Amino acid sequence: MLVFFRDGFYKDLIILLIITVIVGAVFSQGIAWAIDTYFGDTLDGMIGEYGEYDVILHIREEAKEAAMRELDRIGQESFPGYRIKESLTIAGQANFFFGFPAEHRTKEVLEAITSYFGAVPGISGYTLMVEPSVLIRGVHPAVREDLREQIEGLEGVRFAVKDGGNLVVVLSHEDRIDTVTGAVESILQQYQILELRFPMGFEVDTQEVGNQALKVLRAQGLSGDRSYTNVTSAEYGEDLDAFLKALVEMRDFLGSYASQVRISPEPSARLGVGELIILEDGLIIEVTGVYGDLVEAMIVEGSPVQSTDKIVQRGYRFLGEGERGEWIGNVEIENERYRLAYAVDESLRLLEELEELSIQASNAVDNAEAVLITFQEALMQLEVLQVQMRQLNEGIAGDGINSSGEQFLLTILLNGLFQTLAQGVINTGEEPLDSLQNLDLEAMRKSLSGISEQIGNVQETDVAAIIEQIGFVRDTLPNLNDAEIGQSIRLINTYLGGQVIPGERIQLLIQGKAVDEKMLEGVFQRELDNPYLHTYSTSVGMVTPDARGELFRILKEVRSIVAGMLAIIFTIIVLVLDHATIFSTLKYVRASGKPVRKGLAGLLNPLIFLGGALGSLILTSVYYLARSEIPFFSLPLIVLLGFGLGVLIAFMAERFSPVNSMELMAAQSLGLSNVQIMREVVIPPSRPGLLNLLNRFKQQF
Amino acid sequence: MLEIKNLHKSYGQHIALDGVNLQVNKGETVVIMGPSGCGKSTLIRCVNRLTEPDGGTIRLGGIDVLSLGNSELQDLRRKVGFVFQQFNLIGRLTVLENVVFHLVLGGMDRDEAWARGRSVLARVGLKAAEERRPHELSGGQQQRVGIARALVTNPEIMLWDEPTASLDPILVGEVLEVMEELVKTTATTMVIVTHEVSFARKVAQRIVFMDQGRVVEEGVPGDVFARPSSEVGRLYRKLLVN
Ligand SMILES: Nc1ncnc2c1ncn2[C@@H]1O[C@H](COP(=O)(O)OP(=O)(O)OP(=O)(O)O)[C@@H](O)[C@H]1O
Ligand SMILES: [Mg+2]
Repeated sequence: MLVFFRDGFYKDLIILLIITVIVGAVFSQGIAWAIDTYFGDTLDGMIGEYGEYDVILHIREEAKEAAMRELDRIGQESFPGYRIKESLTIAGQANFFFGFPAEHRTKEVLEAITSYFGAVPGISGYTLMVEPSVLIRGVHPAVREDLREQIEGLEGVRFAVKDGGNLVVVLSHEDRIDTVTGAVESILQQYQILELRFPMGFEVDTQEVGNQALKVLRAQGLSGDRSYTNVTSAEYGEDLDAFLKALVEMRDFLGSYASQVRISPEPSARLGVGELIILEDGLIIEVTGVYGDLVEAMIVEGSPVQSTDKIVQRGYRFLGEGERGEWIGNVEIENERYRLAYAVDESLRLLEELEELSIQASNAVDNAEAVLITFQEALMQLEVLQVQMRQLNEGIAGDGINSSGEQFLLTILLNGLFQTLAQGVINTGEEPLDSLQNLDLEAMRKSLSGISEQIGNVQETDVAAIIEQIGFVRDTLPNLNDAEIGQSIRLINTYLGGQVIPGERIQLLIQGKAVDEKMLEGVFQRELDNPYLHTYSTSVGMVTPDARGELFRILKEVRSIVAGMLAIIFTIIVLVLDHATIFSTLKYVRASGKPVRKGLAGLLNPLIFLGGALGSLILTSVYYLARSEIPFFSLPLIVLLGFGLGVLIAFMAERFSPVNSMELMAAQSLGLSNVQIMREVVIPPSRPGLLNLLNRFKQQF
Repeated sequence: MLEIKNLHKSYGQHIALDGVNLQVNKGETVVIMGPSGCGKSTLIRCVNRLTEPDGGTIRLGGIDVLSLGNSELQDLRRKVGFVFQQFNLIGRLTVLENVVFHLVLGGMDRDEAWARGRSVLARVGLKAAEERRPHELSGGQQQRVGIARALVTNPEIMLWDEPTASLDPILVGEVLEVMEELVKTTATTMVIVTHEVSFARKVAQRIVFMDQGRVVEEGVPGDVFARPSSEVGRLYRKLLVN
């Protein structure tokens, strides 16, 4: 089939391919370049030209006008020759670019931005953008001055300015960026911060343990000259620490709120932290701590029965969805939450009853007073009665003749009654009525009215409000079930896993050759007797490209990706417009020629190879020449993609560019050579592409 | 002039030519007739290898056609005029260009080619249409351009594949007229595939009947139409009587 090209068309094809690749590369790169330039200009418009401005002042939008006036005033007064430009306003924040005249672009000025601009209305912060400069981020405070001294001694460095946790190294000329960056990096490499992190819950005296750790380190006898310093500092990330502390509190609160799960393990059952256990009723619990015979766990799936009593269930090893393993022991679940809720409910009831009670009590006191008064009256009547009785007695005794059996009986009865009565009230052993008369009824009345007053106070207390408040407390108790609590705790733990709370981290500065922190981990664990500590190594600072450099890097990436996409699109277009014509011609020739061999040889359709080869050749070369780079698209992948596209187009050639078989056959019958057939018959009416265009130079008709 | 022996051609499972033997003498006019699908087109396309046969031999003017290389085949094709059922003109070229472009591509001086082109166009009665494009012409005119194109090289042999089959009955006449005139006035060997029975009887020196990829009968028109020995022959005789 490829014989078809032998009489000359292959030359046309090679020229076509070369021009295709050149055009493709120019096209892809050209558009990418246009994008580059466009965005580059936009960028300059946004953040000024290189070195034009030194600081971005962030101002609240509403104070913009006032700020501008003030900035102008400061500029005229302190920095004659200053430059200022209002840039974008983002999220209510206006940004002013301020450039100092060269003689004011000094360390003193740049470190005193706050004192110069602190009073500008609406100012909320600033960002240094001095150019040319090298930015070192996250400079450890313990080495900052040391670093600064060394860096300022470098050639091409004018000075270094502290900007928050960063160090801005201001250069004399932008040519120096690369050399200074390299030099700074090698200075940074002389330092290493070795961090010992203790898991949460360990309170560590950083000074003492730090010094201990230093001793351990020195005792290692590591080769090479090094100095070691304990630089544990709280200056690092205080906000984060506060946040972490709050998280720990939160976790502990949640923990105390969850059901307490205790396992009494079977002697044979070896339980480890993190193991899952399924209970009879389907609850799933996770072991959180093993302390000898006592194993603690928390519920991670399902909710236990609501009960203030202890629930005991059999526990089995959880082997995955719906499967349970051997019995590992009994599991007790106690739920403080339900108890709390129960207690609250009970006190609410109590309060309601108390209110009721106070009303009843005050009624009772009122009644008691009434009784007292009645009692006093009764007492007076009793006195009268006593007198009358004495007279009666005397009368009876006086004329015994007159005394009748009836009267005598009455006397006895009255006396007895009276005595019983008096004794029943106050058993003083005195003469009954006397003692009755001795009762301090006034005092009694006073104390009664005192009680009544107190009951009144109780009633005045706003019990309803208290009930409401307690009800509110009850309602705000988190409406979480155990599984949710368990998951929250797990989540917090996962997050805290990588974090450390202040006082639980020790930082050692190592100057000299870096040490292998993982190798030392075991040593520290042993020597400091804490198997849970971990060691990490961090640098004392990181050189990062400045904002503009970063933007340009991103821009370059975008450019490469766009170029890559264009290369792919270009290849598809070229394959469809140009090569489909060639393929459909070849397919016609193949079909009218000698029959295709069957079997394996027939499968090895040369179209696959030609299509694939053309596709990968075009795509790969255009991609390469356009300096494309699409993430995750390695060169072999591009070759493969080109091959695939080529094969696809070869197989679908007639769809894209059908060949006019009648014209072709006529041309053959007229004795035209293949190259003539291509140039005069096949290509001229084909789709307008490079092939068609280039063919115009060869075409005779 | 043309000698075909034991020619075979299959399209996949389908056998189109099943051992065809045919001899055509120099200057002779042979008409091939047969039902649709019997392999007539396949046969004459094999002669200049527009279709590649699977087996057999073809000798044309003493040349073993099937052994030719690319450029020799192209040389041979220039000496063979081929007229297609669908005319197969180059759509984007003018009438005159259609007639001469292969002369120019074959190396002929343009002026000479143009002159020759005009003269053949005059011969087929299309002198006035030379600047037109094929789609502006009637079917009959298009086919006359096709004839002119085949004729312009002064071919030693002309192969006609049903030249009137895709024409309106009204237009058939003008093409047949041209053909008849050619047969009479030139010494070119003609192999004509056609269903035009009366035309065949008038111009053919020999009639060949084909059926299912084979030659089933051949002879002079007077014989084969009067006493056909094959089924196909009898069918054509019936056509002629009607
Ligand atoms: N390119 C092809 N692929 C497959 N089969 C074909 C092809 N060309 C022709 N055939 C088949 O071969 C057989 C012979 O075809 P051919 O065109 O030679 O017949 P024909 O006698 O010219 O018929 P017609 O009078 O219809 O033109 C037919 O059955 C046809 O379907
Ligand atoms: Mg046919």
